[in-house]
Amino acid sequence: MIAPQARLAHRTETAATFLLRFAAGFVIVAMAVLLGYLAFEGTKTFTADHVSPLVFLFSSNFSPDTHHPGAAVFIAGSLLVTLFALCVGGPFGIAVGVFLAELAPPRMTHVLKPAIEVMVGIPSVVYGWLGLSLLVPLIREHTSSPSGFGLAAAGIVLSIMILPTVITLSEDAFRSVPATLKEGSLALGATRWQTITRVLLPSARSGISVAVILGMARAIGETLAIQMVIGNATQFANGIFAPTAALPTEIVTDMPGATQGSPLEHALFSMALLLLLIAMLLILLVRFALRRRA
Amino acid sequence: MISAASASGAMPSAIGATRGVRRRRFADALATVVLWTMACSIIVMLAAFVLYMLYLGAGAMTPSFIFGQPKETTAGGGIGPEIYNSFYILVLTLLFTIPIAVSAGIYLQEYARPGLFRTIVQFSAESLATVPSIVMGLFGLLIFVYTFHWGFTALGGALTLTLLNLPALMRVTQEALGSVPDTLREGSVALGGTRWQTITRVVLPSAIGRMTTGVVLIAGRIFGETAALIFTAGLSVSVNAPYDPNPFHTAETLAVHLWYTRSESVVPDVYRIGNGSALVLLIMVLLFNVSARVVGRALTKRFTGRTS
Repeated sequence: MIAPQARLAHRTETAATFLLRFAAGFVIVAMAVLLGYLAFEGTKTFTADHVSPLVFLFSSNFSPDTHHPGAAVFIAGSLLVTLFALCVGGPFGIAVGVFLAELAPPRMTHVLKPAIEVMVGIPSVVYGWLGLSLLVPLIREHTSSPSGFGLAAAGIVLSIMILPTVITLSEDAFRSVPATLKEGSLALGATRWQTITRVLLPSARSGISVAVILGMARAIGETLAIQMVIGNATQFANGIFAPTAALPTEIVTDMPGATQGSPLEHALFSMALLLLLIAMLLILLVRFALRRRA
Repeated sequence: MISAASASGAMPSAIGATRGVRRRRFADALATVVLWTMACSIIVMLAAFVLYMLYLGAGAMTPSFIFGQPKETTAGGGIGPEIYNSFYILVLTLLFTIPIAVSAGIYLQEYARPGLFRTIVQFSAESLATVPSIVMGLFGLLIFVYTFHWGFTALGGALTLTLLNLPALMRVTQEALGSVPDTLREGSVALGGTRWQTITRVVLPSAIGRMTTGVVLIAGRIFGETAALIFTAGLSVSVNAPYDPNPFHTAETLAVHLWYTRSESVVPDVYRIGNGSALVLLIMVLLFNVSARVVGRALTKRFTGRTS
């Protein structure tokens, strides 16, 4: 004989399990629908407009109206600004990660950590606005660039934006190195710097690559901050200060004027699909890096 | 942390420092200085940003700007409806995101046994987390504007942001639940509590502080989100009413307004509106950050009696 109270508890338990499972299932469905829908819409350039994928990937002539939507300029632009951000923001972020894990006294940590959290919270448009009102005039005045808009402005803004990701994750990577390794190195008479470069860095390698890859994932999809400063010119950057365009910036610039079902709209969805595939590839890389550690 | 004494190599002076040792010590001191400079430069940079935005935007902070109506072609437009829309979409988004993300997080952390279903849920959440916000915006355009024929709506924008922020809130939930010691769960089960009773009466109250901190930080991100809203919630405020409660009308948020003013609008006072909007956004982000800590700490203390 089960008391009614216990029966009620049992029923609640069953209903709760069902609801929780349902919510978890929703995540799977959402991702599947997103991937399926974007794959369908993003391949219309090739299926409905009969454009060769080679033209889309490698031609720099972006004229969707004449069925020649070459996106090479935007692909190169995306890769270049991301590379710029990784070259500047990457080492800087890893260095501050080391600082937080090994050098920072508690008082410094109490200031730096909230500062980094605020940096995460600052909206992308505000970074763009700052770049526009601070960085672009600086570049215009101090270099040969006539407008100040271009690869360098976008790259610098992006470097700052990926810092929190790289700092936080590389700090975690350094902290996860067993203390015994560090103590062994110090006991052998190594200086703190030698311990960092010869023991900590190699041991934290996979964690640091995760930090850099996730920084890259943030950089490749970043849109408005760089759209406001990159210059949005459909041309390869022939110098570090030259205006160019990237995949996400081109989508934002051209989408408002694209008619539904037009070759231009199809081309923009193909570019979105490409972005999604790059982002997912980076996630697979992270999984690979983490598995190698384990 | 490595202590300063061991790092400076307190060797017996009788041995004497050879040139190699001196060089190593110099490199160590130099690296220390460089790392400190880099860390300090982040704080200086952030402070400079905030001060510069204050300097640019302080002049625009008048009641007629903060509460006034935007203008299409003439100077003197305000951002009142945009601020309202930002909060409106934020509330809608949280209304959808919190139940789904918290449930899914509880499921993964407390219920799911290792297996295919859990692996797929986790992989989906990870993939969803990397979808760039502009791509999510185009997906919202496909679903809500093209397929459902809603047009640009506050609801479409909120649902798009729900997808964008689900993974982050799931992770927050999982981490908060993971920080609750197992002894509490065992105590509850030993007293005859079911799994659901244990979660609702023991685990969730202990985790509520951390979860709230996470939710408020994510709310700050939703407040400033732009790329995902341009093609879902639209580039103009509702024409029916400036403070429109209908979720099926367009709803340009403050962050979108900042971008739109700069790149598309023809008003003559672009810089005044941009500087003012950027400053309001920045102040909101700071408020969200501070309140995340304060509220989270208060709730933890209220429900568990612990102070951290």
